[in-house]
Amino acid sequence: MGIVHGEEMVLNIGPQHPSTHGVLRLHVQTDGEVVSHIEPVIGYLHRCFEKHCEHLTYEQVIPYTDRCDYIASMNNNFGYVVAMEEFLGIQVPERVEYIRVIMAELNRIASHLIALGTYGLDVGAFTPFLYMFRDRERILDLFELTCGARLLYNYMWVGGLSHDLPVGFVDACYRFLDDFEPNLKEYHDLLMYNKIFIERTADVGVLPAEVAIQYGVTGPNLRGSGVQWDLRKNEPYSIYDRFDFDIPVGTGQMGSVGDCWDRYWVRAQEMAESVKIIRQALQDLPAEGNVHEALPRKVRAPKGSIYKRTESPRGDLGYYIISDGKGTPFRVKMRSPAFTALSVLSEIASGWMISDVIAILGSLDIVLGEIDR
Amino acid sequence: MKRWLVNIWESVSTLLIGMGITWRHLRRIRKGNVTLQYPEETWPRPERLIGFDHQHYNVIRSRLHVDIDDCIGCLKCERACPVSCIKIETVKAPKEVDLGLTSHDTKKRLLVKRFDIDMSECMYCNLCTYPCPEECIYMTGGPNSHKHPIDYEFSEYDRNNLIYRFAALSDEEVEQRLRVPAPPVTNEASHD
Repeated sequence: MGIVHGEEMVLNIGPQHPSTHGVLRLHVQTDGEVVSHIEPVIGYLHRCFEKHCEHLTYEQVIPYTDRCDYIASMNNNFGYVVAMEEFLGIQVPERVEYIRVIMAELNRIASHLIALGTYGLDVGAFTPFLYMFRDRERILDLFELTCGARLLYNYMWVGGLSHDLPVGFVDACYRFLDDFEPNLKEYHDLLMYNKIFIERTADVGVLPAEVAIQYGVTGPNLRGSGVQWDLRKNEPYSIYDRFDFDIPVGTGQMGSVGDCWDRYWVRAQEMAESVKIIRQALQDLPAEGNVHEALPRKVRAPKGSIYKRTESPRGDLGYYIISDGKGTPFRVKMRSPAFTALSVLSEIASGWMISDVIAILGSLDIVLGEIDR
Repeated sequence: MKRWLVNIWESVSTLLIGMGITWRHLRRIRKGNVTLQYPEETWPRPERLIGFDHQHYNVIRSRLHVDIDDCIGCLKCERACPVSCIKIETVKAPKEVDLGLTSHDTKKRLLVKRFDIDMSECMYCNLCTYPCPEECIYMTGGPNSHKHPIDYEFSEYDRNNLIYRFAALSDEEVEQRLRVPAPPVTNEASHD
């Protein structure tokens, strides 16, 4: 008996849907329950970040970068200030570099905790989400201790930081790391090695390495496909070349290389690597240093342009800044890793059931604030 | 057949591991472990927990407050604001008129006619507080709590009440202040 093809049905998932991680509409063409094509419809969270930047001074852009990838704001700040400092040729003090790395890695952990927790939520596990949010809360407390804000920090400035670390931060951070590491194993037992979870994710939504590279997918999604590419190692910025850490890549332990489980696994391992980096950074953190020392009185870029990319929790985060020598940038372009991750969705989700589409979308870990900007 | 049995074994064992973890958490739970009954209890601000030296910086992100008596009308905060939620209008005082000194002993040369902060537009980036030469614009709480205590929630029923008018002088008032010769005047802060 041949396969019966019925009439195609169009299903709209979103824009208000808990599994789309923000305001994203998926225009899903289905044949029965099998998905034949997906068209992501974006732009519901468009706030004209790039256009706004043309009217802002270089310092004023930083709070706007916070609002792009709002669950990893420190990393967004980091990418922008690293680009600007290279543009202006500013050498920042050692202490600032170390604090930046600590903050960026803490935020990477917080971001991955959300990614994994909500992924559990997507595939039907509620408990890990609560546990992970509990740990994320402690990271946010550390941030609040440092810069007063819990989500949108405006912490890293061109040439320095807004505040130095508060007294007692290092101890508080060590306390958090000591508590966090055993929890990590708990999460793995709770969700990652759970048979039901493996059945839902292993061999589902396989993203082959070539496809990932062709689409420009970066970050944990690319590493889940077995490609060892991490800008912290391959193109070290700031002081990442001083730290000893591994790049976990997907090996297809439970299914084939590049499936949803691999992407989940890579994120889980990356948290452990981030803990390693933070520990080393806390150890070497110089006691002396003024975080406001290298701040330029007024940021005024020379004529020209710069493109600098950094590794955000979602992948290559690039800033392309063009200056015409005036006080405001002529153009700021942000290369969003989540955007490329979303563009590959149709490629890998076609042929799967609707419920698998949710699992695949969750494994890509997109943030709509960054896609729409 | 073997695969089938292994599958069942794996499902049951991993499920039990997960249940064990949740059970351990359930047993460990203490009162006040996580949930805070918010309106009755408020989360303590971090500096009270750790007690760091906050003489030099303010890490609180709360609502903005202006000590209008100290304001010299330099417009630095207005220029620093990325969302332009601060609106200042000043009038230049004639040479003969003495507007008084700020608490930093700076002579005031401009009369601040209007100083509005639209708190519903504010993005809490704290950029306006750094350039102030007189340290008169600040986020409430933290090291400034002796000047102004922190407000946890400053919600209003009317959106217009979120526009804080720190100075709103009518034309007559301005004229009166700048009349030559005038006795030394201290600006009346009008704050809602």
